[in-house]
Amino acid sequence: MTSEVVIPKQEANVLRGHEGAVLAARFNSDGNYALSCGKDRTIRLWNPHRGIHIKTYKAHGREVRDVHVTSDNSKLCSCGGDRQVYYWDVSTGRVIRKFRGHDSEVNAVKFNDYSAVVVSAGYDRSVRAWDCRSHSTEPIQIIDTFTDSVMSVCLTKNEILAGSVDGTVRTFDIRLGREISDDFGHPVNCISLSNDGNCVLASCLDSTLRLLDRTTGELLQEYKGHTCKSFKMDCCLTNDDAHVTGGSEDGFIFFWDLVDASVVSSFRAHSSVVTSVSYHPKDNCMITSSVDSTIRVWKA
Amino acid sequence: MESDEEEDFVFYGTPIEREEDLTSRKKKSVAEASGQLRTVVPWQQEVRDEEGRRRFHGAFTGGFSAGYYNSVGSKEGWTPQTFTSSRKKRADTKEQSILNFLDDDEKAEMDGRSLATSSLFDTFGFTAAEVARKQVEKEQQKRPSIIPGPVPDEIVLPAANSIGVKLLLKMGWRHGRSIKDSRTNLLYDARREARKAFLALSSDDAKPPDTQFESNKIDCEDLSEQADMDIKSAFRSTPVYVLNPKHDMHGLGYDPFKHAPEFRERKRLRISGNQELGSRGAFSTKGDLFASKSGKMAPGFGIGALEELDAEDEDVYASGYDFEETYVQDIEEPSTINKDIKLIKSKGEQGVLPGFKVASSSDLQLDRFNPPVIPHDFKPQHKFPAAFEPGKKLAGPPPPEVVPPEDRNLKLLIDGFAALVTRCGKLFEDLSREKNKTNPLFSFLSGGNGHDYYARRLWEEKQKHSDQTKQSSEKRLVPNVQKMTAESRGSILGEKPLEKSYKNSNSSVSSADAVQLQFHLSDTFTKPASLSDTPEVIKPFKADPAKQERFEQFLKEKYQGGLRSTDSGGNSKMSESARARERLDFEAAAEAFAKGTDSASTALYPSQQYKEITVSSNLQFTPGGLEETNVSKTVEQTMSKMYPKREEYQWRPAPILCKRFDIADPYMGKLPPPPRARGRIDSLIFASDFVKATKTADNGIDPLLVSQSETQVTGVEEPNSETEIDASDTNVERPVDLYKAIFSDDSDDEGEGSTFKQMQDPEKNSEVVNTTLNRLIAGDFLESLGKELGLEVPPETPIMKDKVNIVSQEALTTNVSKPGNNISAVGPLKVKEVVHGSSSIPEFTPKGASNGLELDHSKRKNEATDIGHFDRKYDKADVQKVNTEVKNSKRKSKRYRSRSSSFSSEDEGSTRHSRRDKRRSSSPSSEEERNRSSRHHQSKDSFSDTDSSDDQRSRGSSRLKAEKKDSSRGKSGRRKHSKHHKSQNKGSPSRSSRRGSDRYGSEDRKSSRKSGDRKRDSVSYKDSRRKYY
Repeated sequence: MTSEVVIPKQEANVLRGHEGAVLAARFNSDGNYALSCGKDRTIRLWNPHRGIHIKTYKAHGREVRDVHVTSDNSKLCSCGGDRQVYYWDVSTGRVIRKFRGHDSEVNAVKFNDYSAVVVSAGYDRSVRAWDCRSHSTEPIQIIDTFTDSVMSVCLTKNEILAGSVDGTVRTFDIRLGREISDDFGHPVNCISLSNDGNCVLASCLDSTLRLLDRTTGELLQEYKGHTCKSFKMDCCLTNDDAHVTGGSEDGFIFFWDLVDASVVSSFRAHSSVVTSVSYHPKDNCMITSSVDSTIRVWKA
Repeated sequence: MESDEEEDFVFYGTPIEREEDLTSRKKKSVAEASGQLRTVVPWQQEVRDEEGRRRFHGAFTGGFSAGYYNSVGSKEGWTPQTFTSSRKKRADTKEQSILNFLDDDEKAEMDGRSLATSSLFDTFGFTAAEVARKQVEKEQQKRPSIIPGPVPDEIVLPAANSIGVKLLLKMGWRHGRSIKDSRTNLLYDARREARKAFLALSSDDAKPPDTQFESNKIDCEDLSEQADMDIKSAFRSTPVYVLNPKHDMHGLGYDPFKHAPEFRERKRLRISGNQELGSRGAFSTKGDLFASKSGKMAPGFGIGALEELDAEDEDVYASGYDFEETYVQDIEEPSTINKDIKLIKSKGEQGVLPGFKVASSSDLQLDRFNPPVIPHDFKPQHKFPAAFEPGKKLAGPPPPEVVPPEDRNLKLLIDGFAALVTRCGKLFEDLSREKNKTNPLFSFLSGGNGHDYYARRLWEEKQKHSDQTKQSSEKRLVPNVQKMTAESRGSILGEKPLEKSYKNSNSSVSSADAVQLQFHLSDTFTKPASLSDTPEVIKPFKADPAKQERFEQFLKEKYQGGLRSTDSGGNSKMSESARARERLDFEAAAEAFAKGTDSASTALYPSQQYKEITVSSNLQFTPGGLEETNVSKTVEQTMSKMYPKREEYQWRPAPILCKRFDIADPYMGKLPPPPRARGRIDSLIFASDFVKATKTADNGIDPLLVSQSETQVTGVEEPNSETEIDASDTNVERPVDLYKAIFSDDSDDEGEGSTFKQMQDPEKNSEVVNTTLNRLIAGDFLESLGKELGLEVPPETPIMKDKVNIVSQEALTTNVSKPGNNISAVGPLKVKEVVHGSSSIPEFTPKGASNGLELDHSKRKNEATDIGHFDRKYDKADVQKVNTEVKNSKRKSKRYRSRSSSFSSEDEGSTRHSRRDKRRSSSPSSEEERNRSSRHHQSKDSFSDTDSSDDQRSRGSSRLKAEKKDSSRGKSGRRKHSKHHKSQNKGSPSRSSRRGSDRYGSEDRKSSRKSGDRKRDSVSYKDSRRKYY
């Protein structure tokens, strides 16, 4: 099975341009473009397949920690050390709105399906939802049930999922009006949804990725072998949900088999901590970003 | 006439003039000119030229006829202005200038156009001369001079010279002279004069005109020459050069030869010599370029380097070449000296003064004294001279085995003494024998009681010792030259801090006192190296230094085989059992070590062993940063059993969020936002107070909330058991619709206030509101009004007290009086502790150099991982707090009881009862709750101004200063809360029952939070938090 599946190991492109660590790299919804953000306070738009830098977005006053783009590629949202969530226009590169309200650094940001709401997660132990449709810059919802920094946020059609350093992954179901808290017992660094939406992958700071069944709250599998102890590092599932992938603090990228949790492949991708991994929504292609200021595009 | 005929026709285009026409026109014009034509008024006259053509000036500007038929102004013609008949008047001599013929405006134009140097920059005085001339002219016009005609220019001198000219004049410059070296000019002039004279003489007879011409020519030549010279001299006089270009690398203004000018000269020579050598070549090529006649140039001496020497000048400086030669010779010398200096310098000597030479051979010889050669077998260790001779003595036959003497003390003494003698040598034995001759205790030395045993012991000890020393000497061959601190040296030398030994001796067996002391004293001198090794390797108790010390002591005793002080110092505080356990631990660890020394896996094995030991020893000491082998695995297993654990709560999304997510609000219509439908009095009094109350609650909440939820995260199932239930109880009987109708605002508020995660205050508020509503429903308006007035007093205090009481009592009972029940309470906690202990093992040390977004949560992370710790500590703190609160509440409740003596106790009883019953049925408890609340209210009503309420208010006022944000957050949270409660009422009996088991554990925690002294709580929270940062 593993032999059939192709793992993107070949370095297709290296996207250089960031000065300093790249903190996140994300494909857009169709996988044609990639966005990255980093310590140099910029957001960069790339064509990863051709290795071209398209545009730079500058407005942040501190490092940019996360970026997300709407499904229609028209708007961006980003967040970072300056405690604000920026709402950008992609084509003009202008900031449409700045959402202030987080009491400290904002770790993650996401659009919802309709691109009407930006949900951000911050060091101030809160998850906040911001309305993009109105002109209000006040949060429309503050979730502050977390007891520690919220590191990562994911959205489905009707749910907000957020992972926190307090060890919980909390699912806020808007439809049911319920909050489901899954305690992993270890600080959760990053969460990522499987493509079928049934599982959530949580990267814990004990160098373990954990796969959780969302409906039952059951721990399905643990993936080990990499190092993740002190950095915010991403993890994700491949587009066919066959593998789990994630970076390591020693610059390696790991691929685990989803079911039997064996390390299918691991190779050195960067010279330093791999901060972010993002898998192409359709193809066998992946981008990784690192503290060594590069973004690498991997193809099978 | 023809012309008349012609006029009848219309002509297009320009007619080709015919001959006859021309002539006719001529005639006409002639006729007109002669005035033969009929006279016309002047303004109708047409001006025509002699050809008869009409002359029309300014055809496009109106037209005019100038002059008299285009000639002069009058028929008579032009008369010069200056003409006057000399018959009557003598004509003034008049000079005509162009100005006389110009109009005023033309004159102005002329003036403007004339180019002149302004007087300021009038170097050569032209402007001044002009001005002067004009002046003269003016004057002349005023008073006619005798001499007619213009004044010759020579007479008129400019009045002013420019400042430059003045300066130059002062310096000896004259007009018409070039600015150049006066000396050369003088020479030149003189020579020229002489040549002229000579020429004149020679050509006196022959061809005077020729010579004249010649001389002219020569003059011309001279002039040109002079011009050349001028140019040259001008060129020469201007070169810009730095007086003292910097050649060295000294700082500006630094003069290395300040006190030794002779060196300066030398240096200068050297440098210039080098430079000249270099520059001469360059200049020679330049000379070629200029095609100079003179091949050689003399550098320096006032003649520029670029000057091309004239033929005449050559003879003057004919010696230039020679000079150059000498110069070259001159510079040859310093260069050689320089070489010498260099040579000398290369020898490592300093510069040689001029006039001194470096001695070829110096008498001075540095005497070097080599350090004494250390003997190969030297050991940096002091030994008593009469050290044992291992080989010889052991060679003798071993003394027979002897039964140790009956007296235990004596046996100990003999053992110790034997060890001592072994170490210190025979001399010590002799000495002590001498000293203790009279002492019956030491009779064994001189063949008394126990001598045989002593002999045997001595032999044993010596054997052992020799083995050790052999080992140690072997080991010592390996150079262990590490950095020697006082401690390490001490450890190598076997020195021991005396203090400790004294301590030990104090606690040691009394009878063996003297020996012990000597033993320890001797310890400071010699000690086998075997011991020095052990503490390096075995440090299983790193985490606990005191313990490690004890362990070392233990090891020492064990391996030394000397007197075994059964309870060595320091642990006298420990209980017997603890000591025994520790001893066991030590034994096991030491054994593990002993095994481990042989195997290669020294590092892992003992620690693992030790791990087991520690586990077995019931986590008595905190596990340090050791390998997580067994324990962590077991813990992991337990962890994997425990985690991930799922909890489910109510959560209320904002309506707008639902809208944006395109989802129907699940809470739509259930708790509509507050319409203000209340009476005036209500809104005035109630609202304001309520705001206050909520604010106080909020401000109190924030840290509490965190703390609670934090515990909730790690706590197994403790959270929200009590508060939830309480709230649910209070909310059960509430007819929601009615509330909504009447007090929707309050209900909303209260709803907000009662999140399970939120605090008790809002709940209490809700309770209060509840009761007020009850009153309203009862129609007891007056009473309710009074109650509302009493609401100023946040009414939660009595309830709180109650709860605290209950809880504290419960805690007491569970923890102290009911050991049987303890199991249930302790069970989960214990598990937790294990878990947390393990979770703290992997140390997330924050990396110092973090380029990436290293989690700045490293702190938090620790905190998070340590939550277990926190929990534990918190528990302790809670217990303490509970205790204090028990006191407080007791005090309070006393007060309270004194006022409402009857039902407070009842309350306690009832609530306790209900709790104990684990809520078998919801209705009785709710009834109770209702009763309780109503009672509270009655009590409240009766004492609307209790001091406790005053307390509360004051506290609240202080909290009012906090931000509003908090309050808003709290509100939203509270809203959630109420929701939760409702549903809880409906469908969570299972949950409550599930929680029932560990309710005790959680309740004491809750109670602490519930305590009236929220401030202290928050402080303690902070403290505990700080611990984790």
